[in-house]
Amino acid sequence: MPARLTASQLRTCLGDGAETFAALLAGRSGIGPLRHGDPKALNVAHGYHVDDGATRAFAASRWVADCARRAVADCGLDPRRRRVVALVGTGLRELAAVEAYATGGAAFPAHRLHFGDAVRAAVPGLREVVTVSNACSAGGHVLALAEDLLMLGEADAVLVCGVDATTESMLAMIGRVVDHPTDAVRPFDADRQGVLLGDGAAAAVLVPDDDARPALARIVATGLSCDAHHETAPSVAGIERAMRDALTRGGRDPAEVDLVVAHGTGTALNDPAECAAIRQVLVADGGDPLVTAVKGATGHTSGSAALVNLDVAWRCLAGGRVPPVVGLRRPLPEGAGLRFTGTATASTPRLAQCDAFGFGGVNAVTLVEAP
Amino acid sequence: MTRPLTATGPDRSAAPDTQAVRSAATANGGRAVPGAEKRVTVRVTGWSLHLPDADGLATDLADWSGVAPQRLAGALAGAVPADRAYEVLGRKGLLYKEPATRLALCAVHRALGLPPGRNLPTGVDPTTAVVVAGNLGNVATVADLARTVRAEGGRAVSPLAAPNASSNVVASTVALWFGFGGANLMICSGATAGLDAVRAATLLLRAGRAARVVVVGAEPADEVATGLHQAGRPPFPLRAGAACLVLTADPGSADAGTVDGPGAGGGAGLVLRPAGSPPAYRLLGLGGFDPAARWGDCYGAAGVVNLALAAALLDAGLAGPLAVACGDDTDGWRAAVLDIDGGRLTVLDDGRGAAVFDADGREAVRDGGRGAER
Repeated sequence: MPARLTASQLRTCLGDGAETFAALLAGRSGIGPLRHGDPKALNVAHGYHVDDGATRAFAASRWVADCARRAVADCGLDPRRRRVVALVGTGLRELAAVEAYATGGAAFPAHRLHFGDAVRAAVPGLREVVTVSNACSAGGHVLALAEDLLMLGEADAVLVCGVDATTESMLAMIGRVVDHPTDAVRPFDADRQGVLLGDGAAAAVLVPDDDARPALARIVATGLSCDAHHETAPSVAGIERAMRDALTRGGRDPAEVDLVVAHGTGTALNDPAECAAIRQVLVADGGDPLVTAVKGATGHTSGSAALVNLDVAWRCLAGGRVPPVVGLRRPLPEGAGLRFTGTATASTPRLAQCDAFGFGGVNAVTLVEAP
Repeated sequence: MTRPLTATGPDRSAAPDTQAVRSAATANGGRAVPGAEKRVTVRVTGWSLHLPDADGLATDLADWSGVAPQRLAGALAGAVPADRAYEVLGRKGLLYKEPATRLALCAVHRALGLPPGRNLPTGVDPTTAVVVAGNLGNVATVADLARTVRAEGGRAVSPLAAPNASSNVVASTVALWFGFGGANLMICSGATAGLDAVRAATLLLRAGRAARVVVVGAEPADEVATGLHQAGRPPFPLRAGAACLVLTADPGSADAGTVDGPGAGGGAGLVLRPAGSPPAYRLLGLGGFDPAARWGDCYGAAGVVNLALAAALLDAGLAGPLAVACGDDTDGWRAAVLDIDGGRLTVLDDGRGAAVFDADGREAVRDGGRGAER
């Protein structure tokens, strides 16, 4: 069932939501030298970092708490007076602190691995805070649960958060599968070299569709699936199921989707699989959407990636301009026929599809339209 | 469900008791969300306990419940430790699988009633979802990776360990191993994770996202996991174990097993008593028979373990309903209620707005993650 997006706050390497969108429209990337771990040892030289001048210890908790506080303030909701549940999607939790502990740092209480304490302290009165660790599509999975909670009348509002800070163990895996350090994320590019991590946090507030307060967008539905196919390689069939699930739950036709804010990680496997799924689900049924993607500018923000896409989507719906795929120079052959945005493009999309796919084949696809 | 159960926060009073569950029929501007049901009866169609070396727990549980020890022994037997998981799962495919993943796979294998040996799914079942609860499953691998990178560089790490760098590896591995293609969730919310997972599962069933949900709780007890657990100064030590519940939904029924949302209208499914009323049910968890005190703390898995123990007791003939609880003062508390209804194990309440009372009628456990505010 649809829900209303009444607040959306971001923190990426490019700034808050408005700053991130402005940078995307200008084609600007937030890439910089790797600031976490030893670039030589990791074979990773770049990252898309949030630099708030503070320590990186428990940075994810700090960033998500800050976004949550701002989002709740924006929508004028008092969690002490309403039933507000918080869901936090994350890929890596505070595993960076585990790495510090393992390499000589102090032990820390296990509850600081997740975000209940941090979010409760930032937003007093929440009914409960549940951390869902669903890799790179965690934000999309908590969106789906939020829609269900609202549909079933179990909450008056849901604070949906996503967050990740770079970990060395994930960087090691990224560096392990490339010969030379990747110089930039190039979604859907024929010469893409792989993914790089971006720090990021996001918080959105969803309310039922009949809520009267002003809304940024209407969330039509989120579809979920699991590939059950391979530990790390994506499956076109699994991604297609999530896309079709979203359309079915939302009662929409594939041809209605006129913008895709793609997952687009710039990896060898994701981008062709995502193109194939878009083609088979949307294009084959009469769709001809614009396709944009943000990770060339923000890096892969993992747990918050789906909510970053959602923030970009509502700004496209509201502002009539769709940003370019930053980093894309020459589209991959598998993308032939898809309309990737090369520059900021004047367009007033009506129904946007936000993609998020994660390690382990966990897929979440969200449809969003103007309020 | 009768509400209010007890005053648990100002937000409760803001929610009128008569607030209707948003009807699935009108949920989408008049278009029904396929399969969404505002009321379903959640059944437990399979369950298992995979707690290595828990013979003593069976004896204690028999003493507490009055159920004959031999009727419980079977439920708690056969739980090989992670390094002998091949005895349940077969030898193939276990390389680089985390201990928590192995225990989870064993628990699912046994809950599905499969014979020992590798299960090879014939295809992907998109109607079965997986929800796993656990917090510490991959911390040892992450620690190992960090040490290796520092000592020998990134080239020394094995790409085969890559999936373990992501915390959802237990949930996605269960899906891959058994061919479950529905929604796949890894709940890492600390001490409440087990019953948070049960609640997420009932949400998936009620929202029409799945016809069956495999709920698993699994934690390891390696050195890194134990170090982090102890740093939180828990009352009882961490212990490795897993449990599984297979949940399905009977649509549309409004019998005693109906699971309603808090604030839902209708009095069906009275399972928990208002504050001040006589005591409710026997409780598995803090304040009742607490497996964490008797055997060891399964932390994020505890809610699933306690619910599976309740299933074992009901199955062995103990009169229900049975309440189960999990949580701590930081993450908050959750409770759920299980009984046999119409001859079948039924989740009477999955913890939304639950309160459980001890034998003297005092509130023993309550929900809501309010520990930090008390």
